[in-house]
Amino acid sequence: MSARALKWTSLAVIALVFAGLYLRALDAPPPAAFVPPRSAAQPAASKPFFKPQLLPNSSTLSVHSATAVELSDGRLRAFWYGGTREGASDVAIYTSVYSPVTGSWEPERMLVSREPAERRLQRSLRKLGNPVAGRDAAGRVWLYYVSVSVGGWAGSAINAMVSPDEGETWSAPRRLIASPFFNISTLVKGPPLRLADGTIALPVYHEFLGKFGELLRLDGEGRVVGKTRLSWGTSSLQPVIVPRSENEAVGFMRYAGDPPGRVLMIRTGDAGARWTAPVKTALPNPNSAVASVLLAGGPLVLVFNNAEENREELALALSADFGDTWRVARSLEGEALPPRAPVPEYSYPWIMQDRSGDVHVLYTWGRSRIKHAVFNRAWLEGGG
Amino acid sequence: MSATDIFGLGGCGLLYVALAAVLFPLRRLSAGVRYAVMMAFAVAVFIPIGGLSLAESMRGTTGDLSVPTLALAASACASRIAGRTLFQPREWSALLGAVAAAGLFLYPFALGLTPFDPYALGYGSAALTTVLLFATLAAWRAGLNLAVLVVVVAAAAYLAGAYESRNLWDYLIDPLAALYGLGRWGSDALRGIGRSFQRRKS
Repeated sequence: MSARALKWTSLAVIALVFAGLYLRALDAPPPAAFVPPRSAAQPAASKPFFKPQLLPNSSTLSVHSATAVELSDGRLRAFWYGGTREGASDVAIYTSVYSPVTGSWEPERMLVSREPAERRLQRSLRKLGNPVAGRDAAGRVWLYYVSVSVGGWAGSAINAMVSPDEGETWSAPRRLIASPFFNISTLVKGPPLRLADGTIALPVYHEFLGKFGELLRLDGEGRVVGKTRLSWGTSSLQPVIVPRSENEAVGFMRYAGDPPGRVLMIRTGDAGARWTAPVKTALPNPNSAVASVLLAGGPLVLVFNNAEENREELALALSADFGDTWRVARSLEGEALPPRAPVPEYSYPWIMQDRSGDVHVLYTWGRSRIKHAVFNRAWLEGGG
Repeated sequence: MSATDIFGLGGCGLLYVALAAVLFPLRRLSAGVRYAVMMAFAVAVFIPIGGLSLAESMRGTTGDLSVPTLALAASACASRIAGRTLFQPREWSALLGAVAAAGLFLYPFALGLTPFDPYALGYGSAALTTVLLFATLAAWRAGLNLAVLVVVVAAAAYLAGAYESRNLWDYLIDPLAALYGLGRWGSDALRGIGRSFQRRKS
């Protein structure tokens, strides 16, 4: 081929691949509305109840970061990570199922451990971390979990696996690519959200050079197909997003900046296309994770450590105006609530409302156990 | 093993072979022995040792490698093993300069310096595509065939979903290529300063 022919052929190839790129750009998923969660609103006259219990997670010395999803038969499946200590190579992800009929948890079983995970992901892994669970539009259960190949938590990446049968069997894990810098420093803590077009919005955060939140958009195969920044800088992480309508949502974040430590709040009114800059709420935050849920027909609930310096009190706050003002309603753990954990740390809460309207909170109890508290709205609103 | 795993691990294996070709004194060996040694090494990087292969270990650290990094690795292999130069220094300078500039634009913002995240544009943006199109046409007009080839291969791989990533940036650039480009830029600049200093002295 002559040099001239080669030159024009290369131009034709350029035209062809850029036509493909433009088609792909046009095909990118447009913003999609939130799907607000639906649960049964409980009658205010219900008899108050509150039932706390420790999960039977006795096979590991250290546990942390519980998450849960309601199963199709009304039971709850929880996941958490456990091992000899946080960051150890023997840390694995465990699961157990709670029956609201018997009020008890099944024995735990190991679901993901490091070596099988690295073989299935075709890459080296040093340790495993936070899991979060959710459900997609097709009813499948998704589990996202953090893994680290090099360094500490700043070197994290997220993996996803899906179960078609309520968590009994799982697909091979898939690596989510969410950062251009060796794909490091992306972690999960908040629950995924379903969007109206069938995609999933997964709140994530980074903690490498900066600490900030993002919302990843995942397609039906669990691939990242878009993202939106929730904050920027070096002081906000572990976002939790709570939709109220198709377009409106509020988000809360852990604060890692200069004192005073306060729970951070963001808002969107256009289905997450844009978010307000984080503002400090009146609620304290000792650089610890929070959890939130909007109860059916009721107030917004926030689970948080009610102190600026430590994680010794875990409390529930209510807001009747979607986050503008708060009332601390109940304490789940605190000095006046024996028995105390060997290490008085109550942290990493997860909150959800089941279809009957009962509220479940799971949290780390002294780094040695996962604790579950189930209560109704009458108990929640009767305190404070 | 999925197709994305095969492409990802293949790239890491190629980089291992290139590093070995650069680090080992291959020129002392006859051509036949040189090819045999490098072929054996290329196979060895994919054999699991203690559960994982060298290629899998690298993939855990670097992730999947961008097309410029693969081009650098292929060039090192061609030069050290076959004694062939694939593209002229001018072509490499242009490509690596563009990759370094792209890295300076992409990484600080993607790592949270501001609310603007250029990485998000890589999921499908007409603006990013247009900027890339103009840069590619400029390279084509200037006869910078390597840069054109890299963009075309990266775009085709992105459209085909060769890697796990659905973000165009991950096919165009990675930190290894950006750092190498910055290093090359820096050393070229220092050499230029040195030459002008010499001229002034003489």
